[in-house]
Amino acid sequence: MRRLKRILHVAGNDLRIMVGDKVFFFWTLAFPVLFIVLFGLVFRAGDNAPPVAELTVVNLDQGRWGSYFIEKIKAPGLAVTATDKEPAEYSRLLVLPADFSAKIEARRDQALAFKKRSGASTKAAARVETRLYQAIARVLSELVLYGEGDLTKFLDGHPEFRDIVRVESRFPAKTITVVPSGYDHTIPGTTIQFIMMMVIIYGGITVMEDRKKGVLGRMLFSPLSTGDVFQAKLLGRWSMGLLQALMLFAVGKAFFKLDLGSVPLALLVIAVFALAMAALSVFIGSLCTKEDMIIGLAVLLANIFAGLGGCWWPNEIVPPAVRKAAMISPAYWAMDALHKLRFFQGGWGDVLPHLGILLALAIVLAAVAAKSFRVRD
Amino acid sequence: MRRLRLVLANDVRRHLKAPLAILIYMAVPLFMTGLIGVIFGPRTEGRELPSIPVLVVDNDKGLASKLLVGAFDADQLKKMFRVTVTDEADGNRRMAGGKASAMVVIPRSFTLDLLEAKPVTLLVVKNPAEQFLPDVVEEFMNTLAVMLSGVVQAFAEEVKGVRAMLDLKVDGFPWEALGPQFGKAQKKVVAASKYLNPLLIRFKTEETKAAGAGASFTRADLFSIILPGMAVMFLLFIVQTLMRDIISEREDGKLRRMMTTPLRPIELIGARIFGGWVMGIAVLLVMVAAGTLVFRVHWGPFGYFLVLGAVASFWTAAFFALLHALVRNRNQAGALSAPIILAFSLFGGSMMNPEAMPKAMLAVGVLTPNRWFIDGAALVREGRFPLASLVVLFASGLVLLALAVPALRRRTSV
Repeated sequence: MRRLKRILHVAGNDLRIMVGDKVFFFWTLAFPVLFIVLFGLVFRAGDNAPPVAELTVVNLDQGRWGSYFIEKIKAPGLAVTATDKEPAEYSRLLVLPADFSAKIEARRDQALAFKKRSGASTKAAARVETRLYQAIARVLSELVLYGEGDLTKFLDGHPEFRDIVRVESRFPAKTITVVPSGYDHTIPGTTIQFIMMMVIIYGGITVMEDRKKGVLGRMLFSPLSTGDVFQAKLLGRWSMGLLQALMLFAVGKAFFKLDLGSVPLALLVIAVFALAMAALSVFIGSLCTKEDMIIGLAVLLANIFAGLGGCWWPNEIVPPAVRKAAMISPAYWAMDALHKLRFFQGGWGDVLPHLGILLALAIVLAAVAAKSFRVRD
Repeated sequence: MRRLRLVLANDVRRHLKAPLAILIYMAVPLFMTGLIGVIFGPRTEGRELPSIPVLVVDNDKGLASKLLVGAFDADQLKKMFRVTVTDEADGNRRMAGGKASAMVVIPRSFTLDLLEAKPVTLLVVKNPAEQFLPDVVEEFMNTLAVMLSGVVQAFAEEVKGVRAMLDLKVDGFPWEALGPQFGKAQKKVVAASKYLNPLLIRFKTEETKAAGAGASFTRADLFSIILPGMAVMFLLFIVQTLMRDIISEREDGKLRRMMTTPLRPIELIGARIFGGWVMGIAVLLVMVAAGTLVFRVHWGPFGYFLVLGAVASFWTAAFFALLHALVRNRNQAGALSAPIILAFSLFGGSMMNPEAMPKAMLAVGVLTPNRWFIDGAALVREGRFPLASLVVLFASGLVLLALAVPALRRRTSV
C-alpha cells in the first residue's frame, strides 16, 4: 500500500510539474482546439461535402425543349442557373445547343457538352451527373409513353412521368438517426493525434532530462526501487494523456455538441490508448539522448499513426492496401473503437477486440520500456 | 572572417556527426507527402474512389429484383461496386459491424407491385461512420429507381395484362390473349429503341481549366503541390534546432570559454546565422533531390527555386536568431518555437490546401513565411519568377536580422 502511495505521489508530482508548465495548455488544449475548429470548418464547407452542387446551363435552344429539360434537371441539393452565354467562372456547365429542340422533335440523337472545371468538387460533379442522367431517363420515359405522335406538340400536353419506384435511406437500426457533424469526426481524430504527439514529446523529454540531470538516480535514495520509478513515470505520462483527452472532450461537449456514444467506454478506449502511448514515451525517453531527436520521432510517429489511422481523413476513401497497412497503427484501433461507439452506438462487446489489441500493445510496449529504462546515463 | 569560417565549419561538422534528428525531420515531410499523394492522387484506373462494398438483400426474388441486382453486374459498375447478395439478418449484422458502405433492401412482392404499377420503395441502409461512399450508392439507386419507374410507366398496360395472367393456372392460361399485349409491347420496344440506341440525349463530358491553369493533373502534380508546403514547415523545425546552439552554448558555459579567445561576438553571431542559412539551403536541396527522385516532383526552373529556397532559408535563420535573442533559456526557446512553427504552418497552408481555408485564416496566412514560400514555389512551377515572395521574404528577413544582431550582441557579451 505504501509502495503504491509512493508511486502515485511521484506520478502526481510529474503531472503537477507538466500542468504547471505555461505552454502545457497551449499544446494540450489551445492548439488541438484550433485544429478542431479549423478542420471542422474546412470539413463542413470544403470540397468534399458541398451542401448544394452548382450547375450552370447555357440554354441556346431556339425551341421550347431547353426550358423543359432544365425543369427536369432541377432537384433538391442542386442549384441550377440558366444563362444564355458561357460564363468565365463556373464549376460545372451544360450547354443546350440552338438545335436542341429541333433534334428532339426530329428524334435525332445528340450529345450535350458537359464541362467540369478541374479542381472543382468531384463529389458535386458526380451528384450533378447523376441528376442529369435521371432527367434524361424521365424525358425518355415520357417520350416512349407519348408514342409515335408529333413531338412538336408534345409540350402542349403529354403524360407526366411518375416516380413509381422510390428510394428511402436510413442508418442501421439502433445506431444514429441524425447525420453527424464535421466536429464529430474531427474531435476524436485530433484528440488521438495530439495524445500521441504530446505524451511522446513531453513524456519522452522529461524522462530523458530527469535521467541526464540525475533526478532519477537521486530518487533511488528514497524507498523507491527502479521498478517503482518506472511505474511512476508510466503512470504520470498516462494521466497526462488522459487529462488531455478529458479537456478536449469537455471542450467538444461544451462548444461543439460532441456526442461520443457511450462516454465511459470512450474514455476507457482513450485510457488504454494513452497507456500504450505512455509506455512508448518512456521507451523513447530511455533510448534518446537529445531533445530534438525525441521531438522529431514524436512528430514522425504521430503523423504516421494519425495519417494511417484515420485521424485526418475518413478511412473509406483510402485505397484498400493502405487500409490494411493502417492496422499497424494504434490510432486505427482507437479511432475504429470510437467510431463504433459514436456512429454505431456500440457497446462493450463491439469495442472489446479493439481494447484487447490496444491493451496487448500497451503491455508489450511497457515491457520493452521497462527493459530499456535507465536511471543513469 | 577566417574565424567565422572556422566556427561555421566546426558547426557543420558537429551537426553532421549526429544527423539523426535532422534526418528524422527530413523524413517526415517526405512521408507525409507520399501518404497524401497515395490517398488523394489521381488513380491509374481513372476512378476517384475505391471499390464500394454494397450488400444487396433480395426479399422479392422475382424477375424485377433479379434485373435490379443484375444492374450492378454491368461492366463499369462492377469496378465501382463490390456487391454481396445476402439475407436481411446477415446484412443487418454486417451493417451493424460497419462491414459495408451501404445495404440495398429490395422489398417483398417488388416484382408484383411493379407489374401492377403500384408505388414501391427501395431501402438504402447507409454506414453511419462513412461520409461519402454511402451517398454514392444512394444516388446510384435513385438513378436506377428513375429508370425502373420509366420502364414500368411506359409498359404499364402490357405488364398489367401479364400480371392478371400470372394468377391463373398454366392449363387455364389464355396464351392466345398474350398476342395483342406482345404486339403493343413490341411497338413500344421499337419506339424506345429509337431513343435508347443511340441514346437520344447523352453527354460529352470534358474537363476544363480556368484561365492560366496547367495541363492534366497527375499524382506527380499533387506531390509537387504538397511537398513545398511540407518542406518549408520542416525547414523551420530544422533551422530552429540548429539555431538553438545560440542558447545552449550560453547555458552550458561554452560561450564564456569561446569569448576568451580572439573570436569577436559579431563573428560568432555571423557564423551562427550564416550556418543556419547554409544548412537550411542544404536541407531544402536534399528535400528537392528526394522529391524529384522519389515522387517525380516538378519544381520548375531550378535557378528560380534555388533563389526562393535561399531567401526562405535566410528568413528562417534571421527569425530564429531574433527569437533566440529574446528568450531566456533553452526551455523557453523550445516552448515557443514549436507552437510558432505549427501556427505558421497551419495558417500558411503547409497543413491544408489554402483554397479550402476560411477567408479569415487566409488573411492571417499572409503573415507567415510558409504562405509566401508556397505561393512562390507555385509560381516557379509555372516557370514564373516569384518576385513578390522574394521581396516580402527578403525585406522582412532583413528587418528580422537588423533586430536580431544587436539583441544577440547584448546576449553574447560576457
